[in-house]
Amino acid sequence: MNTISDDILFKVEKPARYIGGEMNSCVKNKDEVDIRYAFCFPDVYEVGMSYLGMKILYYILNERKDTYCERVFAPWPDMEELMRKNNISLYGLESKDPIKSFDFIGFTLQYEMSYTNILNMLNLAGLSVRASCRGEEDPIIMCGGPCAYNPEPLFDIADMFALGESEEQMNEIMDLYKKYKGRKKKFLRAVCHIEGIYVPSLYDVSYNEDGTIREFKPLYDDVPAKITKRIIKNFNDVVYPDKIIVPYTDIVHDRITLETFRGCTRGCRFCQAGIIYRPVREKKTSKLLEIADKLIKSTGYSEVSLTSLSICDYSDLKNLVVNFINEHEKDKVGLSLPSLRIDSFSVGLINEIQKVRKTGLTFAPEAGSQRMRDVINKGVTEKNLMDSVSSAFESGWSTIKLYFMIGLPYETMEDIKEIAHLSQKVVDEYFKVPKDVRKKGLKVTVSTSIFVPKPFTPFQWISQIKVEDVKEEIRELRSSISSKHIVYNWHESPLSYLEAVFARGDRRLCEVLIKAYEKGAKFDSWSEYFNFDVWVEAFKECNVDGDFYAYRNRSYDEILPWDFIDVGVNKKFLIEENEKAKRAEVTPDCRLGCKNCGVNVNLGGKCFEGAVFNKVQ
Amino acid sequence: MQYLIKFSKKNSIRFIGHLDLLRTIQRMIKRSGLPVEYSKGFNPHINMSIAQPLPVGVYSSGEYMDLYFEKEVLEDHIKEKLNKSAPSGIEVLRVDRVKNVENKKVFKSMAEINAAKYIINIKYKDVSELKENMENLMKSENWNTIKKTKKGEKKIDIKKLVKKLSYDIFENRLRLETVISCGSVENLSPELLSSFIQDNTENADKDCFIDIMREEVYVRRQNKLFPLYEYVSKLY
Repeated sequence: MNTISDDILFKVEKPARYIGGEMNSCVKNKDEVDIRYAFCFPDVYEVGMSYLGMKILYYILNERKDTYCERVFAPWPDMEELMRKNNISLYGLESKDPIKSFDFIGFTLQYEMSYTNILNMLNLAGLSVRASCRGEEDPIIMCGGPCAYNPEPLFDIADMFALGESEEQMNEIMDLYKKYKGRKKKFLRAVCHIEGIYVPSLYDVSYNEDGTIREFKPLYDDVPAKITKRIIKNFNDVVYPDKIIVPYTDIVHDRITLETFRGCTRGCRFCQAGIIYRPVREKKTSKLLEIADKLIKSTGYSEVSLTSLSICDYSDLKNLVVNFINEHEKDKVGLSLPSLRIDSFSVGLINEIQKVRKTGLTFAPEAGSQRMRDVINKGVTEKNLMDSVSSAFESGWSTIKLYFMIGLPYETMEDIKEIAHLSQKVVDEYFKVPKDVRKKGLKVTVSTSIFVPKPFTPFQWISQIKVEDVKEEIRELRSSISSKHIVYNWHESPLSYLEAVFARGDRRLCEVLIKAYEKGAKFDSWSEYFNFDVWVEAFKECNVDGDFYAYRNRSYDEILPWDFIDVGVNKKFLIEENEKAKRAEVTPDCRLGCKNCGVNVNLGGKCFEGAVFNKVQ
Repeated sequence: MQYLIKFSKKNSIRFIGHLDLLRTIQRMIKRSGLPVEYSKGFNPHINMSIAQPLPVGVYSSGEYMDLYFEKEVLEDHIKEKLNKSAPSGIEVLRVDRVKNVENKKVFKSMAEINAAKYIINIKYKDVSELKENMENLMKSENWNTIKKTKKGEKKIDIKKLVKKLSYDIFENRLRLETVISCGSVENLSPELLSSFIQDNTENADKDCFIDIMREEVYVRRQNKLFPLYEYVSKLY
């Protein structure tokens, strides 16, 4: 066991990140378990502790008598320095034991720019960052989460990847491991037969002269050529924690998260989540109320947040909200909704929930012009937005945030100017509301982010916008905004370039990642630590051209690095969607009729499983 | 209904700040399901207040809070319920009903406290001179030091704020037992006292953490100090 003495803790910025012992954390006797699992989040405590997936898998693993799952977060650089100075290796928060001696080290991949932290954490644990350099006795490193849908840039970091929803798969892996404990190679060969598991060392990739992939194939006959993601078919009854850890210190999302459904039917063409989490499956209102009740009692939280990809699509939402408020008004537990669609229904609903406090409202039209919104299939019209902000202003809101993306495929400068025009129309809408009705102090905040093309979206073949063009667009947009009520926030960080490179990268990027890490890259998603120069050097020294990944239009017949993964949605569907995008043609919500993406046929799970109905509200 | 709750903030969570501790306690009370009172307004929270905030890094076996209930509840029942829902770093030690009398000012722990007792352990690289250093220090009339406030730095004499002080010297540390001013009238932070002693003795290891525990807080009446719970249960 490591001793993290007070002499160390009093010197670091937030000691509560490193002490553990929180309410509902799970402490076991290590002599009574067979498997030790370190669940790692490659970012700081406050970020990692907010993540629902960890809460679910921590609970599932610790429900097993034979397994002891602990949490590990990336120590902030001040703590890292003291750990290295005092020879403290990376430890599990529950036991403080070094994770080097654990059976499994699992990392969740939520964003590409956390990859260097994974390397740093392995190094802090006293392990080689390269899978090929680690021995039989070293822990098995596994990765999962949304970025695992293109695992190749980490092919020589992780021993295995778990694709899709792991609630059932995790138990299968643990059961299998018990038969092979201590024989890593044999285990990896066996585990590749569990559906959704990818073991990169069992595959070989060859390249064409132009740098594209020639062939991706298993090294052995028994190793599956295609990896199919896992889904939970009966989502209503899948295990969900009835207790979650209550941190001592403030975290990013410090509340109960109630997962209402998985998947999304809107079909926005830029959105990876909208494809990889298909099909839509819901929990019933009665189930959700039951879970909420248990969690409120076991945690003492006074806020419950309903989560999903677009909460207003939950088929029984009104019933859920009304029942929840009726049940919990007396114990002063509030409800919050994170993501809102732009329609007056949403505004009405949020009005219902937040009867009094009028904090800011956020809308995401994503693009300024109707043509551009049709290109990306964001099924929202200007009228939808105007109706929504108008009813928000009438209900007493005066702070509105608008989110847009720039650098979207098939974009013109006209589309950029439209962002300014649309924002101006929101301002105008405010002044249409009578003076005695509207609240004083109008503020419209416009934010733009740079679009990053992602695997398994209709835009997976398309070049990202070049950095110079981003600058040009931002300049244009700034000069098109005239109202003093509009505040424009933007960034032109090269971070989104790196994201684009790694999101669609292949095995050759693994060297670049290791090189950048060795040169000191870590916490890249934190602006105070991000250093682009280090990355430029790393690309150069590894002789890898980042532009090849970020700025290249691919042809439909090119073998993409992630083509061996089956997410259930057919490639043909994605191609058709991209072709429709070129023509600015909209594909309506699948609730209005099946669009034959293939997910219900390929994965054997029904769409709208558990939903009360499957119509658009 | 008002109750005075005495609790400990254990060593393991000494680095939890005051606001985090407040939130932790609110959730503990919520889990207990006790019929506590809520504040009115848009964002209701449990009606409670902590008697004296504890500096980050200090632990305590003598913390107090005022907690208000919708109805009368047996003191033992409150203690039991709270301890069942307490996180590992907190333990409720005793509960006393505050008998507010009509026409008398409502009791507020925060306003009553005059002094607090601390056990302080300071590490030394070498203790050979320490006995002599301490003896000299105890003899000197003024303990002048610099107190940092929001407005800037202020020179103060802290000796008159130290009501009692005894010490022992061990192998590598100095152990102080001290009662010092605490509260809204006169206040001395145990950290300021500790660093004053560090600065005025030889070979203190300033790279090491100073271990401070608050043991009790007191109310002064007729020049005598009474632990807060005793004051509430017997005198008030």
